[in-house]
Amino acid sequence: MTTTTVDTHAADHEHDDHGPTKGIKRWLFSTNHKDIGTMYLIFSLVMFFVGGAMAMVIRSELAIPGLQFVHPEFFNSMTTMHALIMVFGAVMPAFVGLANWMIPLMIGAPDMALPRMNNWSFWILPVAFGILLSTLLMPGGAPASGWTMYPPLVLQTGDAFPFLIFSVHLMGISSIMGSINVIVTIINMRAPDMTLLKMPMFVWTWLITAYLLIAVMPVLAGAVTMLLTDQFFGTSFFLAAGGGDPVMFQHIFWFFGHPEVYIMILPAFGVVSEIIPTFSRKKLFGHDSMVYAASCIAFLSFIVWAHHMFTVGMPLTGQLFFMFATMLIAVPTGVKIFNWVATMWRGAMTFETPMLFSLAFVFLFTIGGFSGLMLAIQPADVQYHDTYFVVAHFHYVLVPGSVFAIMAGAYYWLPKWTGHMYNEKLGKLHFWASTIFVNITFFPQHFLGLAGMPRRIPDYSVQFADFNMISSIGAFGFGLSQLIFVLVILTAWKGAKATDRVWEGSHGLEWTVPSPAPWHTFTTPPKNRIADEAFE
Amino acid sequence: MDDLERKKNIRRTALIVAAVALAFYVGFIMLGVLRS
Repeated sequence: MTTTTVDTHAADHEHDDHGPTKGIKRWLFSTNHKDIGTMYLIFSLVMFFVGGAMAMVIRSELAIPGLQFVHPEFFNSMTTMHALIMVFGAVMPAFVGLANWMIPLMIGAPDMALPRMNNWSFWILPVAFGILLSTLLMPGGAPASGWTMYPPLVLQTGDAFPFLIFSVHLMGISSIMGSINVIVTIINMRAPDMTLLKMPMFVWTWLITAYLLIAVMPVLAGAVTMLLTDQFFGTSFFLAAGGGDPVMFQHIFWFFGHPEVYIMILPAFGVVSEIIPTFSRKKLFGHDSMVYAASCIAFLSFIVWAHHMFTVGMPLTGQLFFMFATMLIAVPTGVKIFNWVATMWRGAMTFETPMLFSLAFVFLFTIGGFSGLMLAIQPADVQYHDTYFVVAHFHYVLVPGSVFAIMAGAYYWLPKWTGHMYNEKLGKLHFWASTIFVNITFFPQHFLGLAGMPRRIPDYSVQFADFNMISSIGAFGFGLSQLIFVLVILTAWKGAKATDRVWEGSHGLEWTVPSPAPWHTFTTPPKNRIADEAFE
Repeated sequence: MDDLERKKNIRRTALIVAAVALAFYVGFIMLGVLRS
């Protein structure tokens, strides 16, 4: 009897079938993709509120003309830090969190391929953002040059400068390690029958995103390394006085910066491509064309960077090339929008919270896409450049675009994570409040930009007063609406027990494991037909 | 595919991808060096 017990335990241990360790060690030393995914998601939510608080400072100052609450220098720090935190601390880690949780489950892998590196890539992030946020307390204040860190302005940053550079390096290292993990996992650990074109769209879009990250994060690291050497080691990469070229920084930055936009939106496409078929109770229309469209968008993202710098002066052929290349992106993006609509066409649609967020994504991201198309037109961009029209454009892409997709994904997979259904009424309240307020916040900014209001200013002419007040009211409403999401999370374990499949129309390997997903899943590789059967 | 082969493939893919990342980092700094 005793011998049997010992043997069983030994066998369990050998198969790594134990549960998590207790206490803080579980999180500090975790190599489990689900725990690391959870940490990424919680971290991104915290950063979302930190960056959101900075947005509230910005909108408070801009509610009425004149200087009210903060010094102009601090206002510039707020716009800079808000952007850095939202881009690198909220949106990107949220998608990495979703990837950590869902990619192994979707491809039938037991974990990420490099679990210890996975732990490192997460735990670097709190250090990076701790350093970045500490600059708020430094002499000279936090960085105030905008998230683009253009020289020579950025070189006027006070003591915060080397800390900014170091934190950006850390964020880059974290992203690169995360991407290596995603690529290696998808390439090597798929279920035996799962060919590349059988992979779910979320996995596909993340594979493409990871390649983008591998190519462009080192470019950002190279650019900020050169800034560092310009400031402290006597080089003149970007200093005109020493024979350098400040515009070269802009070229290098945007070679990173434009693919970065797609790094933040391609996984969102993937999330929405999972949700719309589920709640339309149909297969995704044109799965393969979606893959090709995403690949095409990724390729084009490398050859359009200079549309961010139409006003710096470049040869006419350059302007034409970057204008037409940018407009070309509308084609594969249009394919995606068409496919989502075609998936819904004659589907048995229901409108649970994830679907509502996905539908809002399709509508509102498209508005951001259209304004992007307007900005792509070089002669028009000369007028729009550095106005609130640009602010409206990229917030439409990033808030009802990326953030709504993250929210949709969180609601969609929450029952799989917690084992319980979330409160649908609260979810819908969160959706409607967010959707109404996000439009009140950002739609008037189009008009402000077209009327000539410049971005990154703490004060403005009285002619812009009304739309700014509306925008600020919307921003506070949107900020408060997000507290409903926190309530949904806090009460997520109180709802009815979730079934394995959770949603009637769901399909894929992740829905074949119990809810909540056990500590270890797919310790033996599944047959892909299980995924097919789950859809039948 | 046995475990050993999978581990070998994982290591190889990780090294290739890391090398690509390193090449972009060094390459863009070299671009700066050559231009300035």
